[in-house]
This record gives sequence, C-alpha cells and structure tokens, in this order.
Amino acid sequence: MTTTQDQSSTNSGAASSEAAEKRTVRFRIQRCLGPNKPAHWEAFDVPILAGEGANVISCLQYIARRPITADGKETDPVVWDSGCLEEVCGACTMIVNGQVRQSCSCLIDNEAPNDGDVISLQPMSKFPVVRDLWVDRQRMFHNLKRAHAWTPIDGLHDRGAGPQETAKNQETRYIFSTCMTCGCCLEACPQFLLVDEPAKWDESFVGANTIGQVRLFNLHPTAKEEAGERLEVLMGPGGVSDCGNAQNCVKVCPKEIPLTEGIAAMGRATTVKAVKQFFTGE
Amino acid sequence: MTEHQTPLSKHHFLLRRLHSLSGIVPIGAFLITHLITNSSIVWGKLGGAQHGGDGGMATFQHEVNFIHSMPFLLLIEVFGLWLPIAFHSVLGVYYATTGRGNVGSYRFQANWRYSLQRLTGYFGLIFIFYHVATLRWGWDFLPFTNVFIAEEAASTTALALRGGLEGGLIGGVVVGGVYLIGITALVYHFANGLWTAAITWGLTTSAAAQKRWGYVCAGLGAALMLAGWSAYVGFVTLDIDEARAVEAALHGPAEGARSANSDLSADAGRLERE
Ligand code: SF4
Ligand code: SF4
Ligand code: FES
Repeated sequence: MTTTQDQSSTNSGAASSEAAEKRTVRFRIQRCLGPNKPAHWEAFDVPILAGEGANVISCLQYIARRPITADGKETDPVVWDSGCLEEVCGACTMIVNGQVRQSCSCLIDNEAPNDGDVISLQPMSKFPVVRDLWVDRQRMFHNLKRAHAWTPIDGLHDRGAGPQETAKNQETRYIFSTCMTCGCCLEACPQFLLVDEPAKWDESFVGANTIGQVRLFNLHPTAKEEAGERLEVLMGPGGVSDCGNAQNCVKVCPKEIPLTEGIAAMGRATTVKAVKQFFTGE
Repeated sequence: MTEHQTPLSKHHFLLRRLHSLSGIVPIGAFLITHLITNSSIVWGKLGGAQHGGDGGMATFQHEVNFIHSMPFLLLIEVFGLWLPIAFHSVLGVYYATTGRGNVGSYRFQANWRYSLQRLTGYFGLIFIFYHVATLRWGWDFLPFTNVFIAEEAASTTALALRGGLEGGLIGGVVVGGVYLIGITALVYHFANGLWTAAITWGLTTSAAAQKRWGYVCAGLGAALMLAGWSAYVGFVTLDIDEARAVEAALHGPAEGARSANSDLSADAGRLERE
C-alpha cells in the first residue's frame, strides 16, 4: 500500500467543503522529552478526509506543523522516526493502539473510521527512547554483528565461481531476507526486555529477528563457512535457548517471516552441534 | 565478549537443555506412571479382582506394595525424583524471572500458554512440596492432613484427600481444591512443556509439525487429566471402612485390628459379591 501521495491530503482538511466526509480523529501520544525523562500524554485533534488515505505519519506531520494540543495549548512538535514510508525500512515502528506496527502503513480510515475515534501512539518499550516516539534500535544492529549476520569476504584473489544456490534453499531463505530490522518481533516478545546498558547486550536475549538472520546466513552457500561461529553465539547466554516459545514474534512480524520455524531450525542445529561437540570435541 | 563468566553463563546451553530434559525424564515419566497408578483405584475395578477383594482398592494396594518393595527406595527417590525436581524448579524459577509476560497486550493463544507455563510451574512446585511433605514425609502438623500408611494405601489416601479425620467439609474442600488445581497445573505444565521441548530441541521445525505435535501433546494431557481427576473422584467417593477391610484382608488378620469393622470376613464376602 503506497502512502506517500497522501501526505498533502491533511492540509486541505480544514478547508474541505465536503463536511459529510470530514471527521476529527484524536491522537493520544505518549511523549518524553529525552532519554530517561519522565513520560506524559498529550492529545491532538487531526481533521481527516475519508478516502484520502491518511496514515499515522501524515497525521504526525500535521501535528508537527501545528503543535497545539486538543485543549488549545501550544507545545513542542512531536518527534518520530521514519524513512521509506512504504513499510520496507522499519524505522517508523511504534505502538499504535497497544499493538506494535509500522505507523506509515497504518491507515486512519481503517484504524479510526468514525468521527471522534481515538488513536493512541507510544514508542516501543524495548528500546531506549530518544524523544517522543523515536527510539534507538542500536541493539538490534549490535545483535546482528554479534551473530555474524553477514557473508564473509573470502579474499581478494579470484577463487572462481561461488557455490551454486539451489532453488529449494533460495525458497527457504528468501523470506528471511525480507527482515527490515523493525523490532516488532522484539517488542512483542516476553523474553526480550529493555536493556539500557550496552555492556549487557551480549548476555541478553538476541531475539527472534537475529535468530532468523542466522538461519538466513547459515543456509547461504558461502556464508555457511561461519555457521559454527554463529551457532556458538546462539548457544551462549542470550541465545536461542532463551526463547520461551510464546510465538508472539511470528504473529506480529509485518513481513510474515516464519520466525518460529527459524527458531526451531536453530534449536535443531544447536542440538546437532552440541552432540557433535560431545563426541568429537570440536 | 563476556568478561566474567559465571558457571551459569559458561554452561548456559547445557543447563537449558538439561532443564528441558529433566522435565520429561525423569519428572514427566514419573508423573505419567504416578497418575496411572493412582487412577488404578478406578480402573482396577474393571480388571476384576485378581489382586483379591475389591478390584480398585486391591489393585492400588498392589501398585503401592510394588513401589515400596523396590530396593534402595530412598536412593531412587532422592536421585531419581527429588534432586531432578529441585534442579528443574530452581532453574525454572530463575529462567522465568528473565521474561515478562504480556498477554495483556498480545492475546495470542501461544502467548497465554507461555504465561500459563510459568504460573503452573510456580503453583506446581508449591503443590509438589505440600503433597510430598504431607503424604511422604508425614508432616502432620500442617492443617487438614492424614498420614499415609503404605500398608493401608487406599484408606489413608482417601482420608488425606478429604482433609484428614477431622477435616470436615472445609478440610475436604480445601485439600480437594489444592489437589485438583495442583494436578491440573502439573499435567498442563508437562503437556505444554513437551510441546515446547520439541521446538527447543529442533524436532518440530515447521509450523505444521508444531501443530501436529500440539495435538499429540493435548491428547496426552487430556488423558493424564482424566487419570488424575478420576483418581481424585475415586478416592473421595471411596468407602473407607470397606477399604480398611480389603487392606486388612490383604495383610492377614493381625492387622485387621485397625479396621473399624468388627466382622471382617463377612465384610470381605459382601465386597466380593458386589
Ligand atoms: S517465540 Fe521466542 S522469540 Fe518469539 S516471541 Fe516467543 S519467546 Fe520471543
Ligand atoms: S523479523 Fe519481522 S518483526 Fe522482526 S525485525 Fe524483522 S521484519 Fe521486523
Ligand atoms: S517509514 Fe519505513 S517502514 Fe514505515
């Protein structure tokens, strides 16, 4: 669903002549003026024209232009993060009406179809808040590094053609490659908690997306070479065995990545590795 | 990466897997045999009276005798049950503190099971302790207890489940409630644990396989629930005087003195006709 062309729609909201289609949606926004500052709520009324495809980001843009609360007080513009505006970058992830999702693809006509409907917005709770709805997802990228979620460069000299990718492998891997590091799976996971101190990240649960990426790279014909290293990370503290099988991750993943299958596959791979280690000492 | 490794973090994977394994063997395996043995108070009747007297009571007595005739019973209990249960509980409680349930926000079925798994773990642990303390270690200073006597298995168990001799209605309801909830919690914990263990160990790697295995675990859980509940009903509806008579008859006339019934042979004869 494209949303970019709809950004200007809310501009005309106030001046619209078709009163029947116009409605007001109230946004309750959890605000926070900086890291470790206390959170508070503010409400904003946003005029909406039905059928014009307004989404949460376009409403936030309206509020940014006119930062006046529902009870008429002037306030600081609400801060949020976004990038692609078409649900591929993951930057705009936040909690909309209690559910974690991408705000750019959250259409107001679906979420708040009637006049006076309320939409609540909160920042994700598993990452430190930078300001308002903007969180710092650094830990996700740290975890990808921790788990060697890349294909190693095998030298500068020509080693000929790489190994062939099979169609079946490709089919399994493709969906895992669509992960946009948005954080939905971590926000909904009861085993993934906010860890403020980066020094503790290496011992804390890596989360479903990283386990999925290990699956992706361990199946890659070249990246396979480092499969053992990746599995070792998943066998350490905060690895795959910290998953509690609540399976929320797979339910909330906007890319419908079969995360629980990835988790089980990594459970199997680590079991096999542990048994091998026991008998061969490797 | 990690500067100071604790034994817990160094053997993280091994401990996690041993935690999972210990829940199945020996604890889960014992739970199955224990519930089947207990329910013999009901199904024993079906098998006829090959153990003498009333099928149910006699079969149950026979099973109890078998367990109590095992050599090194205390060693088997300590190393086969108490230590594994202690290991599973201590680690389990610790692991449970590493998560924070969120069924309030994400009301998915599997998420409920996740939270229930932790809740039933806590309650199951308290229940096992209470159960073993009162019926095995004979802690009769706790309220509503009745000491279990291996030679009078059915009658003393029945009295215990009714809250003891002086328990009355309140004792019966309290103890009955604790047992029914305890059994239900533990069976759930085992069946759901069996389902998640298959993911943990990597046996069910597809969503379809996880679903299929889910049905198997649910079926096993339902069967065990039935065994547990029917045992409870069997003991609560047991005629204690009859049970004493059967037990006395099985152990010879010397112990018949315990029976509340004066005319043992007539009583046993009546039982056989039934
Ligand atoms: S299945 Fe594991 S990773 Fe996914 S939400 Fe549950 S605990 Fe988290
Ligand atoms: S796995 Fe899905 S929910 Fe998790 S970060 Fe990737 S795209 Fe987002
Ligand atoms: S802005 Fe990129 S996913 Fe919403």
